Amino acid sequence: MNKSDLITKESTFGIINHWALAISCIVLTISGFGFLFQIQGIGSAFGGFPAMKVVHNWTGVVFTASLFLSMFNWLKESLTFDSDDIGWILTAGGYLSHKAKVPPMHKLNTGQKFFYLTLLVSGFAIAATGFIIWLMPGNKSMLVLSHFIHNVSFIIITAFMPVHIYLSTLGNPGTLRIMITGKIPYWWAKKKHPKWVRELEEGHGN
Amino acid sequence: MARASLLISPELCIGCRACQIACKSWNQLPGDKTVNRGSFENPADLTPDLYNKIRFVEVPSENNPVRWLFVSQRCMHCDDAGCMKICPAPGALYKTKEGAVAFNKDKCIGCKLCSSACPFNVPRYDKNDKVSKCNLCADRIAHNMVPACAKTCPTGAISFGDRDALISMAQKAGYAAVYGQADLGGLGAIYAFHDAPKLYGLADKPAIPEMVVFWHKYLKPLSWIGIGGTAALMLLHYVAIGPKKDKEGKDDE
Repeated sequence: MNKSDLITKESTFGIINHWALAISCIVLTISGFGFLFQIQGIGSAFGGFPAMKVVHNWTGVVFTASLFLSMFNWLKESLTFDSDDIGWILTAGGYLSHKAKVPPMHKLNTGQKFFYLTLLVSGFAIAATGFIIWLMPGNKSMLVLSHFIHNVSFIIITAFMPVHIYLSTLGNPGTLRIMITGKIPYWWAKKKHPKWVRELEEGHGN
Repeated sequence: MARASLLISPELCIGCRACQIACKSWNQLPGDKTVNRGSFENPADLTPDLYNKIRFVEVPSENNPVRWLFVSQRCMHCDDAGCMKICPAPGALYKTKEGAVAFNKDKCIGCKLCSSACPFNVPRYDKNDKVSKCNLCADRIAHNMVPACAKTCPTGAISFGDRDALISMAQKAGYAAVYGQADLGGLGAIYAFHDAPKLYGLADKPAIPEMVVFWHKYLKPLSWIGIGGTAALMLLHYVAIGPKKDKEGKDDE
C-alpha cells in the first residue's frame, strides 16, 4: 500500500450520523442558550419563542435518534481500553508538548473514547429529561428535577463541544476530512492509529 | 405609585365569594362546571378560569363547633418570583411598575415550568396551553382603579393600596406579623392572620424549590463559563502550544 493511498476510517452511515448529531446539537445549544437567558435575538431568529420551542423539541427528536444510532458506530470501540490508554492520559495525548511520545492508538484515541462516552451519557440524560419536560409537565417535582438534570447535562455537553471541534479542525489540521469523505491517507492512519492499521492488514490475510 | 398590594383579612371575610364573581366578570372568564363535594367551597381549586378563590376551612373545636375560616387564594405577586426566574420566554411573565406579576399569553410557550417553581401552586394553563392566573387586574390599576376583587368586597376583607401603608394599617389593627411581609422579597398579597398560616393552607415559610434557586444562582452562570472557558482554553492552546501539524514523511513509520 502506498503512503498516500486512502483508507476508509468512517462509513457513509457514520458520516451522516455524525452530521445529524452535530447539526442537531448546535441548533439545540443555540436555542437552549436562548431559553436559558431569554435572549431576544435568538428567539427572533427562530421566528419567536413559541416557534423556537417547537424547533427545540423536534430537533431534540433528531438528536435522540442520532445518538441512539451512534451506538452502532462508536460504542464498542469506545468501551475498549488497554494499558496504552493510561499512557495516552499520562502524556495528555501529546497536546501539551510536541515532544511527548504518545502510545500507539487503535481506531479511536483515549480522548475520543472518553468524549464519546461523556456525550452518550449526558446526551441520553438531556434527551430523557427533555422528553419529560415536553410531554409530562404535570408532575411538578419531576418537572423541577428534570429541568435541573437537563441543565447539568447542557453544561457538560456545551463545555466539551469547543474541545471536540477545536481538536478536529484547528488543533489537528486535516482531521475534518474524516467527517466529510470518511477517508484518510495510509501514512496518517499508520501514524495516528497504528494498532487499527495493523489489525486491518492482518485481517486482510497478510 | 410605589409598590401596591392586596391586604387580605380573613377575620373580615364572610365567604360570600363576590370577589370570585367580580374577578370572572372583569377578566371575562367563563364559569367552571363543578360537582357538589359537600362543601360550600367551589370550585375545589384554582383553574385556568378562576384566578381568585375563597378557600373554606372548617376548624371545629370544643367551644366553637361550627367555626369556619375563609381566605382568598390567588397569585401572591412575589417580589422574588419563582415563576419569573424559571420562565424561558421573555415577556411571558413580567412585573408591572406596581409590582404585580402579570402575563402575556402571546409570549407564553406553554412549557409549564412556572407552575413547578411557584411556592404557592398558582399558575394554571388554559386549553391553548398558555399561562393563566391573577394579574392583580394590572389593566385596572393602570387606569387608577382598584382590582375587581377589592372593589367588590363588601366587608373590606380584601383591600388594595400602597403596600407599606397597608402593612402599618394591619400592624395598628393588632396584627404583629403580617404574612408575606418579608417572604420571597415581600409578597404582593399580604395576609392579616390571627391563626397560624397553616390553618389557612399556607406554608409558614414559603420558598421557591431549592433546585430552582440553585439552578438560577449557579448553573446558569456556569453554562456560559463552561462553553466560554473551554473555548478560551482551546484558543490559548492554539497560541501557546500550537496544533499538531502532521506532514507526510515527517515522523513517519
